[in-house]
Amino acid sequence: MGHWGWLIAIYLFLGGLGAGAYLSSFAAEKGLLGKTTNLHRVGYYVSAPIVAFGALLLITDLGQGLKKPWLIIRMFLNPTSVMTWGIYIITAFIFVAFIKAYFVWRKRPAPEVLSYLGAILALGTAAYTGMLLAVVEGVPFWNSYLMPVIFVASALSTGLSLTSLLAHFFGKRQVHDAKITQVHLWLISTEIIFVAAFFALVYSGSQEVAKQSANRLLTASLALPFWALFVIVGLVGPLLYYIQQSLSHKSTEPLLMKEQNAYNHAGTLENTQQGPGGNGKSQNILLLSDVAVLVGGLTLRCVIVFAALPIWSGFLN
Amino acid sequence: MSQKKRVSLSRRTLIKGGVLLGTAFAIGIMPMKSLQADEAAIATNPKKQMGFSYDEAKCIKCEQCVRICQDTYKWEDDTPWRKLLKNENGDALSMSCNHCADPACAKVCPVVAYTKRESDGIVIQDPTKCVGCGYCLYACPYHAPHVSKITGAVSKCHFCFELQDSGSVPLCVGVCPTQALTYGAMSELSKKGDLNYKGLPNPEITHPSMIAIPKEK
Repeated sequence: MGHWGWLIAIYLFLGGLGAGAYLSSFAAEKGLLGKTTNLHRVGYYVSAPIVAFGALLLITDLGQGLKKPWLIIRMFLNPTSVMTWGIYIITAFIFVAFIKAYFVWRKRPAPEVLSYLGAILALGTAAYTGMLLAVVEGVPFWNSYLMPVIFVASALSTGLSLTSLLAHFFGKRQVHDAKITQVHLWLISTEIIFVAAFFALVYSGSQEVAKQSANRLLTASLALPFWALFVIVGLVGPLLYYIQQSLSHKSTEPLLMKEQNAYNHAGTLENTQQGPGGNGKSQNILLLSDVAVLVGGLTLRCVIVFAALPIWSGFLN
Repeated sequence: MSQKKRVSLSRRTLIKGGVLLGTAFAIGIMPMKSLQADEAAIATNPKKQMGFSYDEAKCIKCEQCVRICQDTYKWEDDTPWRKLLKNENGDALSMSCNHCADPACAKVCPVVAYTKRESDGIVIQDPTKCVGCGYCLYACPYHAPHVSKITGAVSKCHFCFELQDSGSVPLCVGVCPTQALTYGAMSELSKKGDLNYKGLPNPEITHPSMIAIPKEK
């Protein structure tokens, strides 16, 4: 076992990331991320290219399909295969997100139905990346209905982080509404709860193989990336930062006026550009926290793909 | 003059339209054609389900079943169609693809490289259609499909379907000197046993068309 490696893990990550970026800009456009936001464009621009690049990685990972690309068209053929669903959803999403991005670029109002269709397809894309694994009964660790839920939560969180980062570096106005921090706090908390529930279900279940896979993450070969990169860097770090921001926000508006200890050592990002709503140091920590979320998201896909153990070892007892 | 212009314009439009229509038609017809060919590719309720039977007490572990399969179908050592599994307790099992009643491989294969025959329930994988995504390797609980490092395509046991169609027995069954490995209709075989055998996965997942009778100790 172990046909799938880095390329598939990154593909699953990018699928969620692109979908999350679209949904972040969609949410910003609909006013869900606060009144003053600069996230309403950049997520649309990057979503289709990111998902398309991910799909390219999937194709690169193919065995015979890489040598005989005409076989790839057949991947639309099996409606019972989740991979075929994914190909439908991803193709449609890339198409719709690309058209939406064109409207945004030309500063023309896109038809509402197009924006909503893109949002639905984005959710579909994010859910598909988890469903692809969740339906595999041959790998008990993946075979959980919480898998797509975790992947969607991570997709939204990483998408929001990427969109915030890009808006910071490429956006004309530097604004960061407190609402974004609140939404992100909520997303990270949700993800933590679902990840905890996932492990609780695995360990309370009867599948010994799933427990062995889980052990790989918690205590064995994948424990270092799991705890260090996913849990500490990707979840707990950003969580603490968002909590601290939300708390300090209640007393001081606008955002990012105050900064406390604990994270000062981390403010090493080169860009010290000051937004109108904050000082350089806190801005850096916000950016760093977004980078951390992305690192965590990628790590999550990698450790889950790599932890796969077959339901049967292939040996007689 | 204006008449001429109109004619040339309409001709251009005609050619453009023709090319567009032709392209659309070609794109549309290709998958349609293969779709039609693949219609009912996976028989959910075949007329008959053929399967293997392994009687451990009769097996002398000569591995002739494995050898004749490899010699005939020329599979590489790391893409075995049949294996003789052994453990340190002296237990054994000769196993290939189990041509499951609910083949997980066929369900997940995006390109419909797998078919399950209506006539006898044999699951056949066509390596020429395989893109090599590896999804079936994860889906199959029995490690039956393998990806070749050379071709990048998956292959597996096809139950010597051509031999069966011409009235012969599968090679592995035919070569077995002790009749430890036999084959027959599952309607009969399943009366004698199942594949709940020495750590193998729960047969409820894919309903394999194979029974294994452990030797008495």
